[in-house]
Amino acid sequence: MKRKFEHPAPSEGELTGLRYWRSLDELSATEGFKAQIEREFPEGASNMEGVDRRQFFKLMAASFALGGVGLATGCRRPEEHILAYGKSVENTIPGLPLYFASAMPVRNGAVPILAETHQGRPTKIEGNPTYAPYGGATNAIVQASVLGLYDPDRATTSTIKGAAVTAADVQDLLTRIGTAASSSEGAGLAFLADQSSSPTRAALVAKLKAKFSKAVWAEYEAVQDEPPVAAAQAVFGKSVKPLYQFAKAKRILAVDADFFHSEAGSLQFARDFTKGRRVTKKDDPMNRLYAVESIFTLVGSMADHRLRLSSCHMRAFVAALADKIIGGSTYANLAEGLDVDPKWIDACAADLVAHKGESLVVVGSHQPADVHELAYRINAALGAIGSTVDFVAISEKSAADIGVLAKYIEGGAVKTLVILGGNPAYDFPGNFDFAALVKRVPEVVRYGYSIDETSQLANAHIVAAHYLESWGDTRTADGTIVPVQPMILPLFDGLTELEVLARILGETITDPHTLVYNTITALTGGDAQKSFNQFLHDGVLAGSAYEKVEISLKAQGGGMYDPALLTKTIKLSKDNLEVRFTTDAKVDDGRFANNGWLQECPEPITKLAWDNAILVSPRLGKELGISPKGWSQQVTRIETAEFVQGKEMAFIGEVTVNGRTIKAPMHIQPGLANYTIVLPLGYGRTAAGHVGNGVGRNFYPLRDSNHPGFIIGAKLVATSERHALANTQEHWSMEGRDIVREANYEGPNSYQENPGFASSFGLETHSPAIYGDLTAEEFSKLSQEERAKITAERSTQKERGNSLYKTPTFDGVHQWGMSIDLNTCIGCNACVVACQAENNIPIVGKQQVLAGREMHWIRLDRYYSDGRLSPETFGGDINKEIPEDPQVSLQPVACQHCELAPCEVVCPVNATVHDEEGLNTMAYNRCIGTRYCANNCPYKVRRFNFFDWNKRQTDEVYLGPLGHSGMPELVKMVKNPDVTVRMRGVMEKCTYCVQRIQQAKIKQKVKAGASADVKVPDGTIKTACQQVCPVEAIVFGNVNDEHSAVSKAKAREQDYALLGYLNIRPRTTYLGKLRNPNPAMPDYEDLPLSRKEYNSKNNSAHEGGKKEHGAASLSNAKLFGGLS
Amino acid sequence: MSNLFPRSVNKLPLQILVYLFLVGGLVTAGIAYYATPSYANVGYAPVQPVPFSHALHAGQLGLDCRQCHSNVEKSGHANVPTAQTCMNCHNQIKVDSPLLAPVRDSYESGDPIPWVKIHQAPDYVYFNHSVHVARGVSCVSCHGKVNEMDVVHQDKSLTMSFCLDCHRAPEKFIRDPKLVTNLDWKNPKGEADQVEQGKKFVHDWNVKPPQSCSGCHR
Repeated sequence: MKRKFEHPAPSEGELTGLRYWRSLDELSATEGFKAQIEREFPEGASNMEGVDRRQFFKLMAASFALGGVGLATGCRRPEEHILAYGKSVENTIPGLPLYFASAMPVRNGAVPILAETHQGRPTKIEGNPTYAPYGGATNAIVQASVLGLYDPDRATTSTIKGAAVTAADVQDLLTRIGTAASSSEGAGLAFLADQSSSPTRAALVAKLKAKFSKAVWAEYEAVQDEPPVAAAQAVFGKSVKPLYQFAKAKRILAVDADFFHSEAGSLQFARDFTKGRRVTKKDDPMNRLYAVESIFTLVGSMADHRLRLSSCHMRAFVAALADKIIGGSTYANLAEGLDVDPKWIDACAADLVAHKGESLVVVGSHQPADVHELAYRINAALGAIGSTVDFVAISEKSAADIGVLAKYIEGGAVKTLVILGGNPAYDFPGNFDFAALVKRVPEVVRYGYSIDETSQLANAHIVAAHYLESWGDTRTADGTIVPVQPMILPLFDGLTELEVLARILGETITDPHTLVYNTITALTGGDAQKSFNQFLHDGVLAGSAYEKVEISLKAQGGGMYDPALLTKTIKLSKDNLEVRFTTDAKVDDGRFANNGWLQECPEPITKLAWDNAILVSPRLGKELGISPKGWSQQVTRIETAEFVQGKEMAFIGEVTVNGRTIKAPMHIQPGLANYTIVLPLGYGRTAAGHVGNGVGRNFYPLRDSNHPGFIIGAKLVATSERHALANTQEHWSMEGRDIVREANYEGPNSYQENPGFASSFGLETHSPAIYGDLTAEEFSKLSQEERAKITAERSTQKERGNSLYKTPTFDGVHQWGMSIDLNTCIGCNACVVACQAENNIPIVGKQQVLAGREMHWIRLDRYYSDGRLSPETFGGDINKEIPEDPQVSLQPVACQHCELAPCEVVCPVNATVHDEEGLNTMAYNRCIGTRYCANNCPYKVRRFNFFDWNKRQTDEVYLGPLGHSGMPELVKMVKNPDVTVRMRGVMEKCTYCVQRIQQAKIKQKVKAGASADVKVPDGTIKTACQQVCPVEAIVFGNVNDEHSAVSKAKAREQDYALLGYLNIRPRTTYLGKLRNPNPAMPDYEDLPLSRKEYNSKNNSAHEGGKKEHGAASLSNAKLFGGLS
Repeated sequence: MSNLFPRSVNKLPLQILVYLFLVGGLVTAGIAYYATPSYANVGYAPVQPVPFSHALHAGQLGLDCRQCHSNVEKSGHANVPTAQTCMNCHNQIKVDSPLLAPVRDSYESGDPIPWVKIHQAPDYVYFNHSVHVARGVSCVSCHGKVNEMDVVHQDKSLTMSFCLDCHRAPEKFIRDPKLVTNLDWKNPKGEADQVEQGKKFVHDWNVKPPQSCSGCHR
């Protein structure tokens, strides 16, 4: 008899209760949103755009005609050639990659890397594990840097007055500049360079200053990633900088500090911070993070207590804290006018003081020096110095700033200006007119990577080499010297900065390799060649870090408090807004604007891709009146009956500061300080290249060099114009179920009380033993060893639970699985870009992201939870308010590799099937593109190639056979040769990096030869996302081995499967998130806000009608157990 | 009852015959083209830029395969030797042979010799030589008796079903890894013993050739 099962009707509580919401639309449950979440792909993703029916038929006719031509000509396989080397190349084995240690220089720091090269072609960057502080981790920007090497828009030839010149001409030019300057001791010569930590460059600059004593050497960086040295000078009287030791800190207060991203050394900070958060068993300690910030950063999402406060009020806040911690009469009046609950400061200060020697206060680098000075004094009082923060000696900065340079130029004293790197024509602050300045200089020579805004103003452009083509040296944030090695000869005869300087200096040695060799061997002594080779091999010069110095506080009084600012804390309002400029998480200060991987990666919090926007707080949005009537939550988007997926129809606003106005779309971002608007820098490039041109708006003209971080006195006016922002935040919602599971670390209903909290809520708690003989809750009560053992046994066991699906045979040697720790994941997007680099994932462009067709195999879901919503009035007026201060939970989601995969049963051609080791594989050649699999995937992790992304430029995809086919050779070079490049019409998704698994297995089998030792040792295989993860949140391995790292991770009590009640048995599981709030704080919640929402949704059933709940579980029992 | 059918119907039987003939022809041509070994390129023996004879080098002189295909045990690719490898001997032997001119040129200039590829797996197939050689699959299983070929031709179909024939029954082909480059070796005791020995190897070495997609397609 055919049986029909129906889902139990949702209880009233479920209908009216609260839920996670990912977007303002979801919160308000608009019609459009409801329709959208029903779909397999976002609406419009499957529709053809830009082509009408008639045109479509024309194109089809044309393609058939072309197909016919193809049939007639090339039937048989084309002749291919094997091109063996003429002379054997040392260490090169065709087919095997080589790894070289190098480093990517970034401002004052560097990220040590291992570059993977295939026959001399770098394709992927991994972190260098020899450098312990980063432990082999990198970030999204480093991952994407390899694409920059193959940027088709990079400059291909040096030019003088617009005409291409040879390398010899460039050398002549540089020598001429040098000889002309040496006759006048450098008078008339000026340099404008970006910051660098290269010891060799520092030596050359010192020589330059000695030789050309009258020349000007100026440095400029658009954004600051290190605290101002002036603050340390004032407090300690020494040129030192702080190095935070987050691993030692139990209590951390971040004051406007995004130490996961925008501080130098942030990789180390993120790593160290999460060390204090890795709770693997009950009674493991957990640190506590207080964050005070004006914007919503990833630090804020991780914080246990988050306070929204304008950046300009941070001084008063830190002063109030100093008053509590240090005492005395000095600080109280500094804190005057601060509008913060004093209890918050009291409790926070008390907590910090209670953990003397283990607490730390960190201030963002963009904050003025006096705030840092206060923080240093607090840290000293907390006993943090020498414990949670070290101070290291750095050489005193001797470069002129741009103000000095501008004066020289205006005085007509500069005849030749050499611009080394940077992009001043684009990123100079608005109070300088760079174009006008440059006009006054007769000869401007630009050394740069592409013909950008600055090069267009210069008389001569010298092609720069990419760092993967250069010899050089650099220092990490802690001062460790690391090499920069070329992986490939310069593709376009680019020079290194060292060579340019050496030639101007008229040095006899201009070869950068020798220059670096001399610098390093002078430091190491001993056998020069041997130690240099060791340096290149390790990628790190051991013991070269900046020296830790003993410091003592200078007496009060020598401070630098600006009396003018001391008077009052300025009150902000709608007409007196604060503008905060931020370093973008993707394009940095604009230097990576032409990198498609970074542009397409959604911003971690706003989830905007291919754009920046004025971020506005919910309250300001309301006051500006940009919320349409009747839809108070629809602030930046007008929803007129139809919902256009992915397109956030944002209102355009006009922001005016100091008389300069810029128009840009406005995006409402919950969690901002009410009257702070955030302007992400780095967009609106005009000469970046095909990718970066015209993306977003350029906010640099609003900046003032005296207040680079934030400015007060802005006005924002809303216009009626609209702009479509590509926002991925509404894509693939999971309908607000118990998806991210959170608990408090201690207190009622906490992790300490119930380590298995993740299994004690969610639908699985109602279902019978879908995990076999034990229910989820019973299972979580077992010891970790028992659980690991049972999991290992089950991984090869065929039948368990009840399922309609046929269980595949799991008889492989290994059974692969993954564990993702939500408690340490900071949501930094590094995995997204690493996956893209490893797996040849295409770029689709803004138009396609607007249509919901992005291709990332792993995505980071960002959920807001507010906890204040009341279930009784859901849908009522109160709940239509946009929460001003939500908690954020982030969750990376890729293919979960379900053991009973719903995608497989619906595939008509067996294109997606299981292998014997538990991988849900995808055979691209079988796929005919029905997309049924994506339809049936509960996680929405499958991606469809709507176009030939790898053959067509993103602006030509609609042209079909009439358009230009094929990509520039340069772009193809970045592809990973071990992964198939997919074509149009096939489905793709995360493969657990099957190429890495197979290579490891093959290597092991080769080693085994005529023996049975074919099991790959644990830890050999690292998926791309795991390898890059700075916080080691991702663990991958063999779940059939109960002693493997992944088995141990999965055996932890807080392990849970996403949508586990479906009994599809995903191989990827998550570890529940913990928050560690302080009960003394006024904003203490005994449950994370997401749990509050979950409970209020379900508890009405529990409390209001026990019967109803019983009925629900009965029907659940029917659903899950009744099938047998 | 006249003119029930138009006059053109008279031609119909002829038309049907012609169409059937055409369709039959197409089917025959299709089968001849797609279902024969030549579609799989068996027997493909292109002219190489240098008339290198494997029969001479590997057969008569008895060079081991790995002498020239030196990385076959390490890499997925069985490398074609560099000109330098050839010159190791040919700077002594046949130093002035005009046939070796391309090799000498390549060695001097570094420009590669354009050898024509014979055994060609599609781009989406990730075949790995090292693992097959290490686990006792002989060169001869896929390449035939190269040591008897003056001009190398493709000996086996190298289709997916060819691969699976072995992956499903490795015992029929597997041998001691020491013997993989001995192209003339056959189990002296015959087919039955090969299978028996093979089964023992499969068991003892835990040989589980992948039969799912992920083994070869990534």
